[in-house]
Amino acid sequence: MLIVAIAGSGASAHRRDEYLQAARLAIDPHRVEIALDLTPGIAVADEILSEIDLDGNRSISDREEQSYAHNLLRQLVVDVDGVPRGVALVDSVFPSVDLMLRGEGTIRLRVAASFPRLADGRHHLRYSNANRPDIGVYLANALVPTSDRVAVTAQRRDVDQRDLAVDYVLFTGSAARTVGDVALGIAGLGIWIALLRWCLVTARKTSQRC
Amino acid sequence: MTSIFRASTILLVLLALAVSHGSGQRASQTPPASPADATARIAAAATALVSALDEAGRGRVQFPFEGPQKTKWSNLPTGIFERQGLRMGDLTPAQRAAVMKLLQSALSPDGYRKVTEIIRADEVLRGGGSGRGKLNFGEDEYYLAFLGTPSAKTPWMLQFGGHHLAINLTLAGGRASMTPSLPATQPAKYTFEGREIRPLGKENDKAFELINALDEAQRGQAILKFSVSDLVLGPGQDGRVIQPEGIRASVLSAAQQTLLLEIVREWAGIMNESFAEPRMAEIRANLPQTYFAWSGPTTNGSVAYFRIQGPTLVIEYAPQKSVDHIHTIYRDPTNDYGAKFAAK
Repeated sequence: MLIVAIAGSGASAHRRDEYLQAARLAIDPHRVEIALDLTPGIAVADEILSEIDLDGNRSISDREEQSYAHNLLRQLVVDVDGVPRGVALVDSVFPSVDLMLRGEGTIRLRVAASFPRLADGRHHLRYSNANRPDIGVYLANALVPTSDRVAVTAQRRDVDQRDLAVDYVLFTGSAARTVGDVALGIAGLGIWIALLRWCLVTARKTSQRC
Repeated sequence: MTSIFRASTILLVLLALAVSHGSGQRASQTPPASPADATARIAAAATALVSALDEAGRGRVQFPFEGPQKTKWSNLPTGIFERQGLRMGDLTPAQRAAVMKLLQSALSPDGYRKVTEIIRADEVLRGGGSGRGKLNFGEDEYYLAFLGTPSAKTPWMLQFGGHHLAINLTLAGGRASMTPSLPATQPAKYTFEGREIRPLGKENDKAFELINALDEAQRGQAILKFSVSDLVLGPGQDGRVIQPEGIRASVLSAAQQTLLLEIVREWAGIMNESFAEPRMAEIRANLPQTYFAWSGPTTNGSVAYFRIQGPTLVIEYAPQKSVDHIHTIYRDPTNDYGAKFAAK
């Protein structure tokens, strides 16, 4: 994993005594990917660092990064239609210790839950983050899906945004194709009727066969 | 006779006042330059600045149009976020004046006022002793960069920013985009030369005016039932589009829609009027698909977050636990960094 000297470009906060945990959920037909940005404020940074830097040498090793990320994953709950889905770490970027201790370092985790093919129609996704509620401040938002087979219809949250429920509708490719095919068929039929009518009118005028 | 004289005098004075008011209005309603002319003037001001720099300065200010510098901006102060470009504190008074002249040509009068007041607020922070340790505050800590060669015709970008400020203005002939940009401030209110200054005061007041102009049912749709304690699409969130929430502008009355557009103008109107007007027209055309969301109390002076989101627009206003520390973001998900026309 990567330790970057300047990871502050993504952080916008100057929070002192809070741990900002911002989740953005990208819902695809078979998967939800969560970008989780974690920014401990300056007053709690040392405490969070001690959770990461297990040997206390003021340096974060790959193993410590992995360990912290996987511990954090255990605090996340993702379920689809009431069925819990396992969350796996896709990628992580940790800031330098120095930046973190200044309260402006952001830990970026990319996690994903995959699930088998779901039926067309309405579905319900629930995301919950139980990590450090004593100092946590949360943001949770569904992104506009990049797939035209997914449409988010509603979002509901608890007052702290630790829990996010997303209602969405899934259109399968075949359903989308069917709608497209029907539309194309209707348009083709319309053109054929118009041509036939034009032919008949012309034939009547010229006394020729259509 | 006297009364006739008095009456005619009053009439004349009123007439004179009306004429002077009318001519004043006409003067203030002078149409802005065409967008192409505006770009030419900004490019000329940029070129004049470049020629006033020494070789080292020219090397520092110029970047390729496509490259990592484009997305390298932040609200954070120097010491946490290291900017590249021309540092204001390293310039001579004449060079500094040339930078400010360039900003004046690139921004509207109100946009220029806002930018200078944000910088001055950082100077207030510095004066208050906030620049301890490695953190540096104040007007010396703002940076200018050109991405691409300043030109009246081909795409280039003017980047100006520092703590609580990021202006990303892409110009391409007669077209311009000033997204993403981040105007923020701390303190949100201070005194300068005996005047009370609120760099983002109009944004705040207009938003509270709108939320209080909504009826109960409308407020029920607009007000989110959860707290939003920071920007969702702040720095580092390029390319992401969140699901819109809140009340749809199509169900607002004409007067409420006008209030909404007036809030939007506080961000869209930062850039030169020649570009701001077409941008406002685009936002107005998309108004039926635009949403207004609010989180927090509705009494002006409270800590409250709001978001305006449409097909080509995202504005977020996020107080940082206090009304004296405000972060905002202004984006166009279809045209950040002028992507729509810069590629052509």
